[in-house]
Amino acid sequence: MRDPVAVVAAGVVTPIGQDIDAFWASLLTGGCGITRIERFPVDDLRVRLGGEIKKLDRRPWTAGECRASQLLIAAAAELRSAGAAMLDSSPARTAVVIGTALGGVEEGERALGGAPSLRALAGGLYDSPARNLGRWLGARGPVMTVSTACASGATALGVGAELLREGVADVVVAGGYDVLCRFVMKGFDALRSLTRDAIRPFDRRRTGLLLGEAAGLVLLARVRDADARRAPRLGRLLGHSSGSDGSHIAAPDPNGRGLEYTVRAAMDDAGVTPGAIDFVSAHGTATPLNDRVETLVLKRVLGPRAYDIPINSIKGYMGHTMGAAATLEAIMCLLAARHGAIPQTLGLEQQDPACDLDYVPGAPRAVRPRVMLSTSAGFGGCNSTLVLEGL
Amino acid sequence: MKVAGVGLLTGWGRGIDALPEDSAAAAAGRYVIGIPRPALPSDRLRRATRECLLGISAVEELLGRLAMPRTALAGSRTALLYATASAYAASNRSFIQAAGGALHFPYTAPSAVPAEVAIEYELSGAYLNFLGGATSTVDALWYAGNLLERGECDRALVLAVETFEECADLYRRGRWLTKGPLVEAAACALLLPGGGRYGYASRTSAGDRVRRRAGETFACAPLIAMAAAAGDEIAVGGAWRGRREELRRI
Repeated sequence: MRDPVAVVAAGVVTPIGQDIDAFWASLLTGGCGITRIERFPVDDLRVRLGGEIKKLDRRPWTAGECRASQLLIAAAAELRSAGAAMLDSSPARTAVVIGTALGGVEEGERALGGAPSLRALAGGLYDSPARNLGRWLGARGPVMTVSTACASGATALGVGAELLREGVADVVVAGGYDVLCRFVMKGFDALRSLTRDAIRPFDRRRTGLLLGEAAGLVLLARVRDADARRAPRLGRLLGHSSGSDGSHIAAPDPNGRGLEYTVRAAMDDAGVTPGAIDFVSAHGTATPLNDRVETLVLKRVLGPRAYDIPINSIKGYMGHTMGAAATLEAIMCLLAARHGAIPQTLGLEQQDPACDLDYVPGAPRAVRPRVMLSTSAGFGGCNSTLVLEGL
Repeated sequence: MKVAGVGLLTGWGRGIDALPEDSAAAAAGRYVIGIPRPALPSDRLRRATRECLLGISAVEELLGRLAMPRTALAGSRTALLYATASAYAASNRSFIQAAGGALHFPYTAPSAVPAEVAIEYELSGAYLNFLGGATSTVDALWYAGNLLERGECDRALVLAVETFEECADLYRRGRWLTKGPLVEAAACALLLPGGGRYGYASRTSAGDRVRRRAGETFACAPLIAMAAAAGDEIAVGGAWRGRREELRRI
């Protein structure tokens, strides 16, 4: 077991709530953020729904920021209000690690549609939004962009934890984001990965995912530093791992090889055994293959204990928010521990016999988990797992 | 960590010896020094992008230099860390402007390059991708050192790929921002345990040493510096968009 890392505070901007309280309230009440997309043309697409944020409640950024940066900065504003004592204490020792699947591609899409300015083209680089966030925060430590597709939001938290464990930084703002744009809608539409039905994780009728946009950030610090400053606390990140399937450019490994590697490695990193796990936040995309593979992997790693552990997926509330998803799911885990309730798997009504675990259907579960797993996966065989501990 | 070897392909040719003494003079007015699409004998890769093939070719070059069989890398004990500033731009542009179809879309992800490398060599261990220029490669090397030191892997591949040809007109608009010709490159270092701990160091100009010879290679620059140092202690660095980093033994 290696040193745990304190999760001091969090900030979110999502289709179901633009702060932690609203986000949690929607998760508990089954609020759904899936609507017809309005911000760009979708008439030529097979599927026109998604988890779109219609209007941003907070506008702390300066003029000219791209939408991806707006989401990140709006989430950071909530983070700063909750964790100012730690965040503003040492800018030179503050690092930023941001995960994304799409980066600034919407800016690139826009720039390539006309006569691109140099600024617009630079905005299309995938590392631009994280750089803009670092500037807004005044962070002078390392500013990193990591991209492990839809597992990026977990990978970022893992890299952030290592920066703290190795003494490279004293405070880390870590998380993920992605925005809805024509680029990604066209891509998933062409792949026929999007459903025309509701998102139904682990349901026998599941036919695919819908996409969403969001940003989620957490403020990480070494436990002793957070203790010394009497900083508020959401929980602790006990362990993490990111790994590769080495199987297929778009589909998960049917044997779940890479996901299994990350679950085992993250539990080793955390020093926990299957008996300690109280709750699993699954990737649960509602694609036929993902949910079945995830179930198989959890049964292989957790053994008989897998049948006793509540497992949920929150993709049904706001769609798959890509780079943000894993960070939002980690935050959801810590809120579940704080409030003593596990959000239901929205959209699950008729459980798939091949997915035979306890997926929290129908209503939230009054349980206070302490140690939790959060699993993620993405294009190219990217996988990531976090082990979290609530307070 | 210690360096077992570096496989290197650039627009100048194979290996470090192909680099000219002065890239600006050797470019003779050319703005982009490209690498042709590698012809790899694999039906599986017929739809793969040029940058994916370059990533695989860099690993092949490494294995050839070290006389290692490709099976030596397979499994969960080889970590793969990837860095790039630009090797997704061509696929993104192609998808946006040519309305690419389903088969093309997965290749727009920056993680497509390491994904194809992982598939080709059956790598199922630790895996991370850092986006940015030379600093992202420094980050990848730092992370690889940590994985090796913790025993989470027996070996680590740090791979960087940069391509420019397909977006040369766009890069040309920012020509004043780069010091030399843009030189396409793919580089892969095999790192092993031992050789001491490495950490971030204060600012130096270590990353600039190879730029005169190689030209502007963004994320590949630190690995080219390692190839040039051949067996010496790792001391690499670089700059990207106002950030400057170096890695040294601590």
